[in-house]
Amino acid sequence: MAVAAAVHGNYLPAKFRRFTRTTLSQLTSLPPPPPLFISTNPNDVNPTHLKNLYSICNHSSHRFPKLNSNGKVEPVDIDKLKKALVHSYVVVSVFTRSEFVPEYESGRVFGSCGDWIGKVVPVTPGNGELVGFGRAVSDCGLTAAIYDVMVIPSLRRRGIGRKIVQRILRILVNRDIYDIASLCSDQQKPFFRACGFGDDILASTTMMYTRSASTHAEGEQMVKSAGRKLLLVPSLSGNLKI
Amino acid sequence: MVFHLHKNEIEVKRQPKVSNLKAGFWESIRSGFGKNNTIQVIETPSSEEEEEEPLPEEFVLVEKTQPDGTIEQIIFSSGGDVDVYDLQALCDKVGWPRRPLSKLAAALKNSYIVATLHSRKFSLGEEGNAEKKLIGMARATSDHAFNATIWDVLVDPSHQGQGLGKVLIEKLIRTLLQRDIGNISLFADSKVVEFYRNLGFEPDPEGIKGMFWYPMY
Repeated sequence: MAVAAAVHGNYLPAKFRRFTRTTLSQLTSLPPPPPLFISTNPNDVNPTHLKNLYSICNHSSHRFPKLNSNGKVEPVDIDKLKKALVHSYVVVSVFTRSEFVPEYESGRVFGSCGDWIGKVVPVTPGNGELVGFGRAVSDCGLTAAIYDVMVIPSLRRRGIGRKIVQRILRILVNRDIYDIASLCSDQQKPFFRACGFGDDILASTTMMYTRSASTHAEGEQMVKSAGRKLLLVPSLSGNLKI
Repeated sequence: MVFHLHKNEIEVKRQPKVSNLKAGFWESIRSGFGKNNTIQVIETPSSEEEEEEPLPEEFVLVEKTQPDGTIEQIIFSSGGDVDVYDLQALCDKVGWPRRPLSKLAAALKNSYIVATLHSRKFSLGEEGNAEKKLIGMARATSDHAFNATIWDVLVDPSHQGQGLGKVLIEKLIRTLLQRDIGNISLFADSKVVEFYRNLGFEPDPEGIKGMFWYPMY
């Protein structure tokens, strides 16, 4: 039926149309998402709602988060989150109406007409729930890095994450930035690969600062906690070979 | 808002709860109503907050006297202006491909920290005639809160092997960690992986790898 749709220029008599839509979506295994509002305005993001989203997605701001006995990460620091939002070059947030979000189900009871007003009024950041987020940090000239892409668990595998990444990419490319990186854990790699990311063409090695007090203790040293790591702060005077 | 008149300056102490955007709006209204129309709105951080930007620093790292009496100083500086032409020349010296100057300038301006090393050479007593040359640079971009990535670390080949690169990176890490920015990453060329390993960096920690976007046309 997919071939038939293409031949007819995607216009088919009504009795065939419904059939093609379902088969196509089954082929791509991405059922369409509910009606969404995608915003690139950082002011549409309520930091408290965002902090809530981090918790629901069990996403941490630390690369090496501390997990409690239930496997949950620490809640994100809201002041640092606000600072990060202000200093992110691109901020994408996705909203939908709460009836589509089981996590925010308010259990409203509808009358005989149903909530038809709710269905007619388009979703906005004001009347919708935050269900997806992504941001990018850049030097506005050469490079950019994408962080914290997340979608509420009940709405995953419906193309929302991809929409978020594509919106971020579109904005960066419009501003002439093509060197776009994303740090991914093993679980995140297939998602980014599907969005068009790959290993570095110049075969560079990704490295992170992980020198901790436990691995490299040298008497009195200053340490900074970052998730479950206690990172060693380098001391002032290095030994310079003159 | 609290206004304190101090000599010829007007300091505005922001209360922590007001967001950055709101503060700017009201400042612009108030400055219009002020008696002195040359009021400069200085955004000073409130006493409870840490400074937003790393404080610019400049100090002499190394000073050595050559056999012929000339003195060479290596000066570390962060937050200072970098001449983009000097940087281009330095990138040429280490063999990097050329990048558009306007993009380079924008990248420097919008990096969270830009640390540089300059060499100043002068004869004894003629410090005023010193020739200053850019011999090293490293920069980091950040969201000022959680993540930072170090890009463009380079040292003039004539000054390599002296630990200057190590100083640049250690200074960056120190500044970032002091501001509670714990995710410090970078993408290292295969030749310098050992260099960064010695400085405390780990390749692909716990499987975390950087992926890059490749547009398919």
